Amino acid sequence: MNIGIILAGGIGSRMGIVDKPKQFIDIYGKPIIVYTLEAFDNHPEIDYIGAVCLDEWMDDLKILLRKYEINKVKWLIKGGMSRQESVYNAIMAISKDVNDDDILVIHDSVRPLVSHKIISNNISSAKQFGATDTVIPSTDTIIKSLDGLQIHEVPNRSELYIGQTPQSFKFELIKRAHETAIESNKLNSTDDCQLVLDLGEKVKLVMGDKLNFKITSFDDLLLLKAIIKLGKTEMV
Amino acid sequence: MLSISFKIVEPKRFDLYIEDIICGEDEAIVRIEHGAICKADLRYYLGARDERTLGFKYPMSLLHEAIGTIVLDKTNKFKVGDRVVLVPNIVPKNNNKCLNCVCNIPELGENYCPNAKFSSSNYNGFGREYVNYPVTNLIKIPDNVESKIAVFLELISVTIAAYRRVQLNGDETIAIWGDGILGYILCCVLKVIHKDGKIIAVGKHENKIKQFPADKYYLIGDDSINKENIDIAYECVGGNSSGNAINESIDIINVGGKIILTGVAEDYVGINTRKILEKGISLYGVTRSSVSDFQKAILLFERERFRDWISKLILDEIYINNIVDYYNVFEMELKNFKLGKYILKFNL
Repeated sequence: MNIGIILAGGIGSRMGIVDKPKQFIDIYGKPIIVYTLEAFDNHPEIDYIGAVCLDEWMDDLKILLRKYEINKVKWLIKGGMSRQESVYNAIMAISKDVNDDDILVIHDSVRPLVSHKIISNNISSAKQFGATDTVIPSTDTIIKSLDGLQIHEVPNRSELYIGQTPQSFKFELIKRAHETAIESNKLNSTDDCQLVLDLGEKVKLVMGDKLNFKITSFDDLLLLKAIIKLGKTEMV
Repeated sequence: MLSISFKIVEPKRFDLYIEDIICGEDEAIVRIEHGAICKADLRYYLGARDERTLGFKYPMSLLHEAIGTIVLDKTNKFKVGDRVVLVPNIVPKNNNKCLNCVCNIPELGENYCPNAKFSSSNYNGFGREYVNYPVTNLIKIPDNVESKIAVFLELISVTIAAYRRVQLNGDETIAIWGDGILGYILCCVLKVIHKDGKIIAVGKHENKIKQFPADKYYLIGDDSINKENIDIAYECVGGNSSGNAINESIDIINVGGKIILTGVAEDYVGINTRKILEKGISLYGVTRSSVSDFQKAILLFERERFRDWISKLILDEIYINNIVDYYNVFEMELKNFKLGKYILKFNL
């Protein structure tokens, strides 16, 4: 069984919009989270979806699921105080219904342009290797600075990748990674793959896409609007 | 749901579009899996139409030969994962009745409906990730038919439409002018459905024409064809050379013979009308096909021999991972003079 975990527990503090979290912002008549959920709902290899949502927005999400006929959402999970806690809440919420070898495809709700291919590659790679991260090569030079004032290092660009989501894992592995992190009092990780690496396990890379970018700022929102061209009137 | 599409926006220029695909009540969402490039697609790619016509066409997704898998069907006619062929000719219907009388005339049918929309001609084609499409224009592909071969269903359906364009007894001698893919497929189809008649292939390139499963083949200009007793001629040449083929068939065909034209020529071609009058020849035009032609085409695939014949047309399977691959395959098809096509495997 392959389960999509859609993380929608953030509030979007960098966006400036105060009346709703960024994942609920409307883009040409449809909230961002719905585009993301549709990508998973219509993917033939995804069996079920767990949506992690801010408690106070849970009813809004339920309404959207009805309105847009998103049928695979089996679990609605209360978001945590951190990304790590939200993922752990999801792991706990689904644990009774899944097997150790089932695949969790964990994805940000604010990456609506995730493609069919990226999801498929995540699933096949996680099945084979246990843990998978979606990345794209870094085309810009990355500068390391410890104080934000001067360069401390210019890492070799050919060795650098930009992490995206989905990050996909066998259920047993990601559950063990989270439980080990909690036992070690590591509670604010922003990356599930790091927790798996901490176990000494390997994480395989699959190629993402520049279009699979994360909506974190108003600039990203503008970019998304520009990318989604209105073609409904001429479409079949 | 969001979907990537490649649209031709000017000659030799594709743009990437991201569009929201919405499934209507009588529609299904299909993920395009395989496709092929037609000569008409190449004309749009090159901009080989007059500027005004292109102005009304661009931007447009190309490809009308494609198959895909169902990802959502609001009508429940198909199951998720079903492989389907997409019939590119969409006829507007009101309460399941065509608004134009020609649709009910067997020799004409839906492909001559003046209000029909044809994908990659006056409507977006299948060069994209997903398409929402009327379920009436989707036909399930049997499990024993490989996807790569099933892409040829559109061309096969066109030859079936060409066959039904005239009333035949089944024992006539038929000659096909043209050694391209359409001529080859027509020859294969006739060998199956026109069992009691003789099939003759006429072409310019011996290496191609001798691959046709015809009873006899001739090279263009070979006078010995005059001894044949040809009742029906199909022109499958197209382009400026179609005039030569039509005139040769007019010269050779029996009195009262029928010539069916299938090739597209951008310019006017001169034909010998005096001889048409003298011999009482009838000329018919045929292009495109209807849902029923696709259904008949699928039945032909039950024959292993027919599947083998069609599979010879597959030059290679080209993966389309991005727009660069899409450009490349159009350039490959432009340079392709072999008897066959490149099959596009969409992996977006």
